[in-house]
Amino acid sequence: MEIISTLPPELIRMVFAVIIIISFIFLNAIMMGYLERKIAGHVQRRPGPMEVGSHGILQLVVDGVKLVGKELLVPVNVDRTLFRLGPILSFTPVILPLLVIPFSEKLQARDLNLGLLFIVSMTSINVMAILVAGWGSNNKYSMFGAMRAVAQSIAYEIPILLSMLAVVLMANTFSLKEIVGAQQKIWFILLQPLAFIIYIISGVAETNRAPFDLPEAESELTAGFHTEYSGMGFSLFFLGEYTNMFTVASVATVLFLGGWHGPTLPYGEYLGIVWFFLKVYFLLFFMIMIRWTYPRVRFDQLLNFAWKYLVPFSLVNILITAVVIKL
Amino acid sequence: MMGTYEDFKTNVMNLGGDVTETDFHQRGYHLEVVLTVDTVRKFAQTAYDHGFYLVFVTGIHVLPETVEGVKTSGLEMVYQFATFDRLCRVKARVSVPEDMTVPSICHIYQGANWHERETRDFYGIRFSDHPNLEPLLLCEEDKDFHPLLKEEKKLKSFEEVSWPAQRPDMVDIQTETSSDL
Amino acid sequence: MRESQFQEPNRFFLNMGPQHPSTHGVLLVVLEMDGEYVLDPQPVLGFIHRMHEKMGESRPCQGFMPNTARMDYVCALPYNHGYVSLIERKAGIEVPKRAEYIRVITSELNRVASHLLWLGAYLLDLGAFTPILYGFDDREHILDILEDVTGSRLTYCYYRFGGVYRDIDDKFVEATRAFIKRLRKRYDIYEKLVTKNIIFIKRAENIGIISPDMAIRYGITGPNLRGSGIAYDIRKNEPYSVYPEFDFEVPVGERGDCLDRYMVRVREMEQSLRIVEQALDTLPDGPVRSKVPKKIKLAPGDCNFAVEAARGELSYYLVGDGTSVPYRLKIRVPSYSNLSCLPELGEGILLPDLVSIMGSLDLVIPEIDR
Repeated sequence: MEIISTLPPELIRMVFAVIIIISFIFLNAIMMGYLERKIAGHVQRRPGPMEVGSHGILQLVVDGVKLVGKELLVPVNVDRTLFRLGPILSFTPVILPLLVIPFSEKLQARDLNLGLLFIVSMTSINVMAILVAGWGSNNKYSMFGAMRAVAQSIAYEIPILLSMLAVVLMANTFSLKEIVGAQQKIWFILLQPLAFIIYIISGVAETNRAPFDLPEAESELTAGFHTEYSGMGFSLFFLGEYTNMFTVASVATVLFLGGWHGPTLPYGEYLGIVWFFLKVYFLLFFMIMIRWTYPRVRFDQLLNFAWKYLVPFSLVNILITAVVIKL
Repeated sequence: MMGTYEDFKTNVMNLGGDVTETDFHQRGYHLEVVLTVDTVRKFAQTAYDHGFYLVFVTGIHVLPETVEGVKTSGLEMVYQFATFDRLCRVKARVSVPEDMTVPSICHIYQGANWHERETRDFYGIRFSDHPNLEPLLLCEEDKDFHPLLKEEKKLKSFEEVSWPAQRPDMVDIQTETSSDL
Repeated sequence: MRESQFQEPNRFFLNMGPQHPSTHGVLLVVLEMDGEYVLDPQPVLGFIHRMHEKMGESRPCQGFMPNTARMDYVCALPYNHGYVSLIERKAGIEVPKRAEYIRVITSELNRVASHLLWLGAYLLDLGAFTPILYGFDDREHILDILEDVTGSRLTYCYYRFGGVYRDIDDKFVEATRAFIKRLRKRYDIYEKLVTKNIIFIKRAENIGIISPDMAIRYGITGPNLRGSGIAYDIRKNEPYSVYPEFDFEVPVGERGDCLDRYMVRVREMEQSLRIVEQALDTLPDGPVRSKVPKKIKLAPGDCNFAVEAARGELSYYLVGDGTSVPYRLKIRVPSYSNLSCLPELGEGILLPDLVSIMGSLDLVIPEIDR
């Protein structure tokens, strides 16, 4: 106990936050996996998982146990270092953005004054993981997936940044907490609808979700960058993907949907998290619905869409925002 | 160049093909053309010019015979053509010479490429000027194994497996029953 | 191993298959690539070659019946139909009218089932997961209907020389009518989910254009040909069975791209339903099987019979020698010719487009390999 008291309280706070966030990441992945399968089932007019637990609620737990128990298969001709590094690189950086996200007025691990930039830089490490995994797998399909992921990531990071900038201009800060604070009266989605649409589209692309799931593209590249992975290696990619989705939805909530704001609750500075999560999961639900409805776009269409439509529109949007604010 | 049915018949006869009209209800094709290895390509070109498409290419293994002192290989090539414009199905037949080589028609009908490779697999007939006469359906190891060649004792002569030429009694019975269908 | 015909260092080979989700079976396509561009796709066949033609030549003609369903297992009844009609033509066997009607009804139902499966599989190739389950949902009803009367769900052996194996009952008629009603209601869903889907249209439009001349050179038939604007349907152009008695259209496309082939198949389903409806309305009474000698003698001479299978022209070519065993039985399968155009169609396109084209050609690999 004495040692703890000698440590700086900020460090203890961070350690706690990281532990909570890591456990939340696993919980989120299980919930998302279950939601995805249930929603997919209902979209396709079938019940989805029904066997394990009531309405299959324990299915993902069992699946997780299975994945953990599986042998880690390393093919003969792969680059062993890169092959092992891929899943770790995919999983580690996804924890960090959650540290700066304000879940409610007081539930935030750390409020950086450049929080938004921190999130953007951390999420873009994900593409490194895909590149490393695809390259290290020594498989042409994986290589294709990796190449696609890099091009896609570069193309869609720009509209994401530009649409964020529009909000930053309005809130006049990079700190997420202050951006949410600026939405006390009116949510930015009403002031910046175009930026919101651009952000959501780019966000889906950024997380490699259908209809922009080109790096995996099951019917073209078998499974793209994670073709060769099995067991925990494979599931770390999925943990990474679901957490990235959560991050994208959280940032959208912070930037456009007023974060923790909502009808007043008791202990509002803590329970604002309820509103925050409702908004986040609504966005995630929307992303899942898109996945099970649309076919996949082609690669050149995807890039054309980013460079020819999203980037110009977001630039115009910023210009208009800047002019209006200046006036 | 598209032409009428009569045009087609005349053109085929002009290039040396032996054309017979057949009873469609009985045989399922309208024209039977007997060709030689020299006229196969010309015939294919004529058929292509008249808008025919290639239905299939295959072979038949019969008992080799000696015609005018030359022993045949016992293999017959069968080509079938049909057209999108009208009801006309054409069967063309070629006797494969002793050297087992028939001119390929896959420069006129690209679709014949696979059919000819398949025929090489099954019968060992070679096609001159074929761009890629590799095994298609059978594997590389079976390159010299031709499953549709029959054993000696099962072989029948060509006459035994063709329609009795001009035997009215037989033809009549067949047409009568099949025209009712 | 194929040698590269190009000297540039950037070219490489990619093996698509035999265990690739988009080849729909054990088909290998060796792609010569430059980046994501396909320069020369060459299909490699024969992984499930079973030499059906040899089997046909080594047993009495009745014994080959079950084999006919094992080539195109997605749409097996037209294969049954072609073979029984061939033997009936060769041996001069009469078929009762009611049997012919039943053959048409079941064949057309099977065609609808095949197109439904194709629709789902094609969309799966394009990355949409949901339509295949909708397609399977509807197809399941057809399989149930056919199972009741034929006894099997996939590899039917229902037709017999001179008729069909057994008569249909009221339950069959009712179930079929109910199914027709149901499928017509579902068109809306498919239209909203697929046909009007902007991503789907962008993925299928102007991709893999088959020109009429190309169709002639490769012998492409069926919906793939009709997508190119040629109204050639064996059921109309070379009428067999009782098809001339029904009123139906032959849908055609305009450009011959993947979207046209899709539209043709979707519209064909409705035409098949129309045929089934008319056949049910005018179903004559009577026996469903005529007396046929136990040992069918196949007179010397050759004989051909072509039918319209779900994928195009299916021709059986038989040479008889006077015994009951065919001397030669050649089976011309539609997918074989349809696939053979792939090297030309897939030259210089992107890999996703190749997947789209192969999906739109509606390939059934066991049929190609026979």
